[in-house]
Amino acid sequence: MPRGIKRRDFLLGSAGVMGLAGCSRPKAPPARPLVAVTRAPAYSQELYGAMRRVLAEHKLKVRGRRVVLKPNLVEFEPASTINTHPMLVHAALEAFRALGAEVRIAEGPGHRRGTLDLAEAAGYFQTIPNFEDIFTDLNLDEVSPVRLPHPVSRLDSLYLPHTVLGCDLLVSMPKMKTHHWVGVTLSMKNLFGVVPGGVYGWPKNVLHWAGISESIVDLHSLFPRPFAIVDGIVGMDGNGPIQGRPKAAGVIVSGHDPVGVDATCCRIMQIEPSRIGYLALAGGLDRLEAKNIQQIGERLDGVATPFDLILELRSLRRDSA
Amino acid sequence: MSEESAAGAEKEDSSLETIRAAQNPDGGWPYKRRGGSWTEPTVYALLAHAAGQTAAPGSGRALAWLSAAQRADGGWPPRRSVDQSTWVTALVTLLPPEVLGAERHARGVRWLLEQSGMESTRAFRLREFLRKGELQDGPAQSGWPWFPGTAAWVTPTSLGILALKKSYWRQPSAELRERIEAAQAYLFSRRCADGGWNHGAARALGYNSEFYPETTGQALLALAGTDAEPLAESFQLAQGFLRECRPSGGAAWLRLGLLAHQQLPAGIPSFSMPCRTLPDVALSFLARRAERGYNIFVD
Repeated sequence: MPRGIKRRDFLLGSAGVMGLAGCSRPKAPPARPLVAVTRAPAYSQELYGAMRRVLAEHKLKVRGRRVVLKPNLVEFEPASTINTHPMLVHAALEAFRALGAEVRIAEGPGHRRGTLDLAEAAGYFQTIPNFEDIFTDLNLDEVSPVRLPHPVSRLDSLYLPHTVLGCDLLVSMPKMKTHHWVGVTLSMKNLFGVVPGGVYGWPKNVLHWAGISESIVDLHSLFPRPFAIVDGIVGMDGNGPIQGRPKAAGVIVSGHDPVGVDATCCRIMQIEPSRIGYLALAGGLDRLEAKNIQQIGERLDGVATPFDLILELRSLRRDSA
Repeated sequence: MSEESAAGAEKEDSSLETIRAAQNPDGGWPYKRRGGSWTEPTVYALLAHAAGQTAAPGSGRALAWLSAAQRADGGWPPRRSVDQSTWVTALVTLLPPEVLGAERHARGVRWLLEQSGMESTRAFRLREFLRKGELQDGPAQSGWPWFPGTAAWVTPTSLGILALKKSYWRQPSAELRERIEAAQAYLFSRRCADGGWNHGAARALGYNSEFYPETTGQALLALAGTDAEPLAESFQLAQGFLRECRPSGGAAWLRLGLLAHQQLPAGIPSFSMPCRTLPDVALSFLARRAERGYNIFVD
């Protein structure tokens, strides 16, 4: 899916992924990926310094590189914790710019069509100067077809936006949330937002029909070395990702390996990572084990806090049988 | 001409100017100025000119762009570089056959008639029955998907109904009538507990979901001509939300939907939200035209 793409288009798409996007060149994950857990109790000015320290810890070399920050924008509910907080995105923007990167912000929401209206309601226009000039609506961006080399879902290709195909580093910036279908939505699930609604619609239902967990893994395979910065300062628990309740965890979780980052977030949420279907599919159970992740910063037992789960997902709890 | 209607006419003119200025050299329109051409904004640009009873200076090029975009299966892709016919076929077939070309139009309508949400297909229903012992929606409640091979949703279903209704008015047939009724039944089945519509998931895991203004307006438009009584709660919800509706696209669809049922309350102020895409500009224009008596989707 989509069926019938011409060979020439496949090649074009592959060239887009392999040639334009340094961020998506296949590389084996590091033996013990580095994941940083940074304490951040509130959305305050201190975030700006914290974000510079986060990038320094990961020794990011982005001078002259095109960096795309991909937050999670979902709904028009400024008072809720549904969207990635604009101050965290602004802090990341400033920190990457300070390292000499050329930075854009881009997102393609899954349900609502007015992406800029959503961003405005979420406070992005107020928080980030000249926001509209540096933002791309991924739902309406130019697209090229990209073949999935080893699909685990029923997809064999996807049209993807040029903004993400052409960047050097894609930074997934999700909110730390529970998800009523797949358990948690973190840096890997956040990549659903790069699939263009202009081609697939609102919602991007091809991904559901191809298998949600499997599609997450396939998308991850197209961007196997992005960077992830998870907004766990105030996340969402209960009936997430839309109707849940605010849940403060007071952390930013970051790293180059989305599987390691998301597994660490699960531990903070007191959810067993090996019970999240897409994590198990993407990483294999060994890769999810804490001993196989080089975790720095805050100790997990100092920041872990149970995220409430709806009844149907209680078996994901770390202490459940 | 009163001061208010003069201001309205001026705004309409400026909308058409904005639309004309955004046309690409290839004849199509982009979502945002200087972007590539897509089918959806191209159709809205043409509909706005039709509603304004003004020939678009570049309409010949636009129609040539649309003609070249039609695929061998009769449907249209969202943009020419996408090798798949999708929901935008419903939008294109809102254009009259005399504008689009009778044969092109007929092939588009045929493509539309052959599509339905996967959940109402026989194969899927059988599989789900064997798996869960539950019988899913059948052809009697059948909407349209955004993308073939997936489930039906409110926006493509509403636009499909509007397109088939126009065809039915021109040339009534049992096939068209039955499909329109099945799609309207789908819309009723997906109405949220609050009386409105969201993208098409009224409940998830036992929890009620909330309505969206844009899809509520689209569904109301598509249900024009049906019994008003079951829609009373929907009207009330839409009317209440008009004053706080932020996105211009959502406000425009709500107005178009309420106007189709003569339910737009008097005294609702003109909306002044920013139009951030070309379809938003065109839809706001179409809503203003509808307030002046011509609702291009249902008239």
